[in-house]
Amino acid sequence: MKKNQIDRVWRWQITASAAAALLIACLLGVGFGPVNLNFGSIIRTLLGLPNGLENEDRTLLLELRLPRVVLGALVGAALATSGAVYQSVFRNPLADPYLLGVASGAGLGATIAITNGGGDLHALLPIFAFLGGVLAVGATFLVAGRLFADPSTLLLAGIAVGSFATAFQTYLQQRNSAALRPVYSWILGELTVANWDVVKWAGFYIFIALFVLIRISKVLDALMLSDEEAYSLGVSPQKIRLIAVAAATLATATAVSASGLIGFVGIVVPHLVRGLTKRATNRSLLSIAFVGAAFLVIADLGARTLLSPAELPIGVITAFVGAPFFLFVLRARNRGSQ
Amino acid sequence: MINIENLIVRFDNTEVLQTINLDIPEGTWSCLVGPNGAGKTTLLRTMLGMQPYSGSIKYNGCEIAKNKSLNIAFVPQRPSIPAAMSVAEYVMLGRAKLDGWGKESAHSRNIVHEMLEATQLLGMQSQLVNTLSGGEMQRVLIARALVQEPEVMLLDEPTSALDLHHQIAVLNKVEEIKATGVTIISTMHDITLGAMYAERIIIMQSGRVLLDGESQSVIHSPELRSAFDDRISVHKLENGRPVIIAAKRATGLDQGVI
Repeated sequence: MKKNQIDRVWRWQITASAAAALLIACLLGVGFGPVNLNFGSIIRTLLGLPNGLENEDRTLLLELRLPRVVLGALVGAALATSGAVYQSVFRNPLADPYLLGVASGAGLGATIAITNGGGDLHALLPIFAFLGGVLAVGATFLVAGRLFADPSTLLLAGIAVGSFATAFQTYLQQRNSAALRPVYSWILGELTVANWDVVKWAGFYIFIALFVLIRISKVLDALMLSDEEAYSLGVSPQKIRLIAVAAATLATATAVSASGLIGFVGIVVPHLVRGLTKRATNRSLLSIAFVGAAFLVIADLGARTLLSPAELPIGVITAFVGAPFFLFVLRARNRGSQ
Repeated sequence: MINIENLIVRFDNTEVLQTINLDIPEGTWSCLVGPNGAGKTTLLRTMLGMQPYSGSIKYNGCEIAKNKSLNIAFVPQRPSIPAAMSVAEYVMLGRAKLDGWGKESAHSRNIVHEMLEATQLLGMQSQLVNTLSGGEMQRVLIARALVQEPEVMLLDEPTSALDLHHQIAVLNKVEEIKATGVTIISTMHDITLGAMYAERIIIMQSGRVLLDGESQSVIHSPELRSAFDDRISVHKLENGRPVIIAAKRATGLDQGVI
């Protein structure tokens, strides 16, 4: 820093470090499991070089582990980024796709799609999940009474809406016993169903949502201010807010429909990145996406290996880390407001 | 020069601003005074382009709503304070309109440094804004407004959350800003304080301009008391400065001088 200048608000090196962390996490994710694969061979196989993996190991890498790791990364990036965006848009550090009821609403939408079955389920799931998510976030804000309700009112409203959606979802499951198994396996929050088909459709929607969010990320900083302040800085906040919530809800809904209910990623990762970088700007969104992806890939690695050969639902791992972290954020926030 | 002509703002068919006409010369400080609900903040919001209106608000002959290059800084009464944002990062947001969002030129980082120094915040640039005191936050808001290099600065109750010491410090700073040619429009509840600093007082009531003129003449005008339903009393200090206080408290004081 020059003597008469303030430090840069954002540095590309931070984003590069987050990308490097994701690459390392992905390598660990494909390398470790009940059968460990050699990293050198993995890289050679992925790059199409000679002396790569062969036979079962090659199938294990390309058809089982790689789609699972890629799906985990997509879902982690989607949940972490939408969490960060909700926190900025609603000016609420505790906002999270799950706490706002978006995920439960998306879950209900997905259950309606599964129980009514038929057709191309994978293509329909995100659309139903998206509609469910949108309705849930709308209901949360309706119950809370206003857009910028205080954090506790908003969270209580989100919990109420989420509980209602979950109850309705359970009712649908019980009424459609034939669909019980697929719904349950999906609710558990797992990446075991990952294959290239799932990666393709989930990737399509998540890439669209993340592209939009990262494209508007710089202007999102204006939404952390009051509307008057945003206007004075040349931003009309309503339009940006609408685009941001729609894209974040699409990302969340796709993540939920692809991998079930995986909580806390949206609150742990943005706070972790902002805490480590000591920066609140939404220019961190790409880094948050990378770290969210890395976080879920590592959490899935834990889910696969901790009780090997059995598997833990990945939601258990994220909750183990996320719940204490959430309490830490809540406590820090209360201290700050005193 | 800011020319406001026949300005009308409606909320659900109710006229919250009713045919406002004002001419505000460049480089002056005008203070909007009036009871809650008089329309002061709505007038500021309209000038920011937030409210649809009929009539016109022109800056140097060009309609404000259409002039995207015009830089109007706003110092809010109740700012939204982002968690985990440092003072430097928060003040840097003020450069967004000039530089483009997400850009931070060396020139901008120089200006932010300079304004942090001017507002005595230089040692605090890494501190989080949600941990600041009311007085410190007000200085941060003024620093952010300053780095915008505005032609016009709007301040909504800039002293309402401050003790007297910080009120004076903030108002002195605004006076310095005005001296650089920036047009200042503020709302204030305290007419005495407003009249000490602003050369012009605009009294508003129920969406109308009731009184408008040079500060000293406005506070001595008989209409001032009626604007506040005779609940205020104007007194003179020994040095001749007027003091306006609530009528109930004024009862029993010596006539004219306190």
